[in-house]
Amino acid sequence: MKKLALAVSLALAAGVAHAQTVKITGFGAKSGVVRSFGINSEAAMLAAADLINKGGGVKLADGSKANIEVEFLDDRCDAAEGISVIRRIAGTNAVVAVGPTCSNVAEPLFGILQKKVGDSSDSGLQMPVFTDVAIKVGLAKISEWAFRNVPNEMTMYNSLFYWLHTQHPQLKTVYGGVEEDFAHSRATWYIVMKPRAEASGFSVVGNTKWLLADTNFATQVREMKKANADIVAISAHPFSTCGVLKEMQRQGVKPKLLVGLTSSSSLETLQGCAKQAEGIIIPTSFAPINKEAVAAAKTTAKFKGAADLHSMAAWENMFILKNVMESEGISGKPGDVQSDRRKIRDGLAKLKTTNGLIGVTKRDAEGEADKPYVFVHAKKGEWKVLYNPL
Amino acid sequence: MLDFFQTLSDGVLFGATYALIGIGFTLVFGVMHKINMAYAAASVGGAYAGLLVLKVMATAPPALVFFCAFLAGGLLGWMVYVACFHFIPLSSPLATLMSTVGMLLLIDEVIVHVTDGMPQGYPAMFDDVMLRAGEFSMRGDLLLVFGVSVLAMIGLLLLLYRTRLGLATRAVSQQPVAAQLCGIRLVRVNALTFIVTGLLGGLAGALIGASVGTLSPLLTVPLTVKGLIVTVIGGLGSVPGAIVAGLLVGGFENVLQLYRGVTERDLYVMLLLFVFLVFRPGGIFAARGGRD
Amino acid sequence: MDFYFGLAQLIGVHTLLGLSAYIVLLTGQVSLAQAGFFAVGAYAAGMLTVLAGWHLVPALGVSALSGAAVACAVGFPALRVKGLMLVIATLAFGEGVRLFFFNFDYQIAKGGIQVGPLGGEGFRQIRFFPENGWETGEVMLFIWVFVAAAMALLWWFDRSRYGTVLRAVGEDEIAAQSMGINLTAVKVSAMTVGGAIAGIGGGLYAHYTTHIEHASFSILLATFAIAYPIVGGLRSVFGTLLAVIFVQGFLVEGLRFLGDWRNLLFGALIVLAMNLRPSGILGRRRA
Repeated sequence: MKKLALAVSLALAAGVAHAQTVKITGFGAKSGVVRSFGINSEAAMLAAADLINKGGGVKLADGSKANIEVEFLDDRCDAAEGISVIRRIAGTNAVVAVGPTCSNVAEPLFGILQKKVGDSSDSGLQMPVFTDVAIKVGLAKISEWAFRNVPNEMTMYNSLFYWLHTQHPQLKTVYGGVEEDFAHSRATWYIVMKPRAEASGFSVVGNTKWLLADTNFATQVREMKKANADIVAISAHPFSTCGVLKEMQRQGVKPKLLVGLTSSSSLETLQGCAKQAEGIIIPTSFAPINKEAVAAAKTTAKFKGAADLHSMAAWENMFILKNVMESEGISGKPGDVQSDRRKIRDGLAKLKTTNGLIGVTKRDAEGEADKPYVFVHAKKGEWKVLYNPL
Repeated sequence: MLDFFQTLSDGVLFGATYALIGIGFTLVFGVMHKINMAYAAASVGGAYAGLLVLKVMATAPPALVFFCAFLAGGLLGWMVYVACFHFIPLSSPLATLMSTVGMLLLIDEVIVHVTDGMPQGYPAMFDDVMLRAGEFSMRGDLLLVFGVSVLAMIGLLLLLYRTRLGLATRAVSQQPVAAQLCGIRLVRVNALTFIVTGLLGGLAGALIGASVGTLSPLLTVPLTVKGLIVTVIGGLGSVPGAIVAGLLVGGFENVLQLYRGVTERDLYVMLLLFVFLVFRPGGIFAARGGRD
Repeated sequence: MDFYFGLAQLIGVHTLLGLSAYIVLLTGQVSLAQAGFFAVGAYAAGMLTVLAGWHLVPALGVSALSGAAVACAVGFPALRVKGLMLVIATLAFGEGVRLFFFNFDYQIAKGGIQVGPLGGEGFRQIRFFPENGWETGEVMLFIWVFVAAAMALLWWFDRSRYGTVLRAVGEDEIAAQSMGINLTAVKVSAMTVGGAIAGIGGGLYAHYTTHIEHASFSILLATFAIAYPIVGGLRSVFGTLLAVIFVQGFLVEGLRFLGDWRNLLFGALIVLAMNLRPSGILGRRRA
């Protein structure tokens, strides 16, 4: 019996020595209406890990190399499940978590993390989370263990409205359409789009509201028609964006310009209403504008995922984490998981800039990113780059 | 004032979609005294299945898509019957309530898996038709939905009152034991009820998809809630009641949305329901005594 | 280990939700309003600990009272309707509560930032547990004290005359009434006790997730509330507990390794469970 145990442990030790791995666990929605986000993020993470591993993997503190192992868990876009998932991840040897998809999961999740690092009176979870998708403004400041690599809507829309103003000085008025019951779209209109449009010299002449699952937009579009604004800004996700665009066509509402929510610059909108979305302008933090970005999109496609601003953030996260792990010198040994996590957190907190697919991202003290962006517009069923402010 | 009438007419027309779903709930309730929570989901599922036609033949006319949805709806209706009702004793109403909720979740998730949850554009008929009178306008595609729900109601009433199947259905709904003694096969009548409502549901789903322009699994829960409310306001088991109630709820919510805003809209719909429950618990057209 | 403690916390919270529907179901009433009482309790406890700085225990007391008061108020009009009408009336009420919180803003400045519920954006930073240094295991024990108390109470009801009366009303209202049982008192009291239990459950839930918003208290949650006692069977409180473990422990967490397939199986397994055991896991053989 003793011999057997010895043999097994020797075999295990040998196995570890040959293929040392560090584990990064992704999580997000792979069921429900936001399923495509989870699928794309998972594909991007797997693709990036594959590339890193082919290039030799991650260098550990003792000089040895380790492969990155990726696992992806489904949280069903549900707050309670998200908490269970992060606790489950914290119970494994994963050194960092990448996710989640939904802001309504990110918010409670960051809430159960330790608020201030090293505060022993705070029993919150000590697990670095590096978010790729959940985008609602101002979430990372909830905990010092939370970091995000999501576009800064404030900067993007500020720049978009400024650019629109310089390009089309004859356009004066903006009218908003808000998906009122979804945390992200709601915050984006009231906190971001509306004040930014005003700051750029537009006058906001009003806004109309609808709900995520609404199907009849006749009244809202009639209000929109009355306002007769030059620009209509729609802060809504693809399903209701399409519904509104179709009603606008029916009622013959043709604003001179259409502006959309950054999350709608995905395939979903084109799948639902390519014809009506023609010309809508959206700022986004990803477009295949250079060799690296094109290659990333291709590799992700091999893992059956689409490249968009969300999944490519997951891609970037993998490379950022690789650099952080190497610069902080994590040990990668199962016994050191907690100290490795701390090192990764500290490393992420130290970052002032990171290299992204379309340019350099600035990072702030709250753990938020200020990503480079381009303006895209829908042209003949595809997203085309309209202007690159970089 | 024009605003008011325009909003009212938009809402009433859109209410036709609620009416179509309400009819399905009310029929199953009328015959089996059971609630089929999966009905709206199965209807939307049927509509999705209609899209398969476009996969085979990209240039298929919308009418063919609708017809395919109609057939798929019937098939789904039968599947819901077998999975959620056939093997569960009639005396366990709670079990069938739960099994149909499970079915709702299952159908939703199958749709999500097939489409990755992405909204799908749906072909429409008469969607570019707008009837106008000055500033006032009416949507052609919604008039079609409205027309279909009236036709469906007439068809159902003919089926119920002019055919042997209808006679058997009404007999089962009034006195299941006596009906069985007269040689009516209960199981067959129940299954046929589900197939008929399923066919109607598939068509309803397709028309809803066409009038919304896009299909998404997001539609199922709101349609279930609105459909149930319409069923109660119309009177359990009453087909004309479901239609009138559907139009009423549609118009009511749209007018309230105009005056009180979208965030409070559904609150008032719930209040309307309570008003009916308190003052007219039998609904608009209270059905004559069932088997209770 | 923390993961299992966390899971046990969630199971405890859902057990309270299930128990609140259990006692109402005993009287033959199917209520989809339990998520509404749960929401009232969640917002009440969250506001008291975050905005007023109360300790959690008295805050939960207020949760229980407010849940009970709302449930009692619903209980009276709900008496007018039965069967499917009651299902839909309570569903409408639950939705009404959710929509109320969707429109509910009450924020005050605290420590330089605005805290409190803010309509559609929800109510964040309900961090009583971590701020006071409670470990996951301690929180679990705390939650389970309430679960055990609620289960003991309902179990004791079942053994007492009150339980017999509840079941008599559930079996046959008219027979019960002709025996001199006061239907109003029985039904409303069951609803009130259920409301109190749901209120406590909600208060604990708010502190479990640290962030609540209207969407968390949707019809889906209300359906789960009645699903637990129905799947578990109405013979005893342990059925509800077993069903919560089956749903939250097995279907949700246990099958997570199946990835994509888990959510498909979820609905299918509920359908299957009802076909195999129409009266629930611990139900009688006779339907």
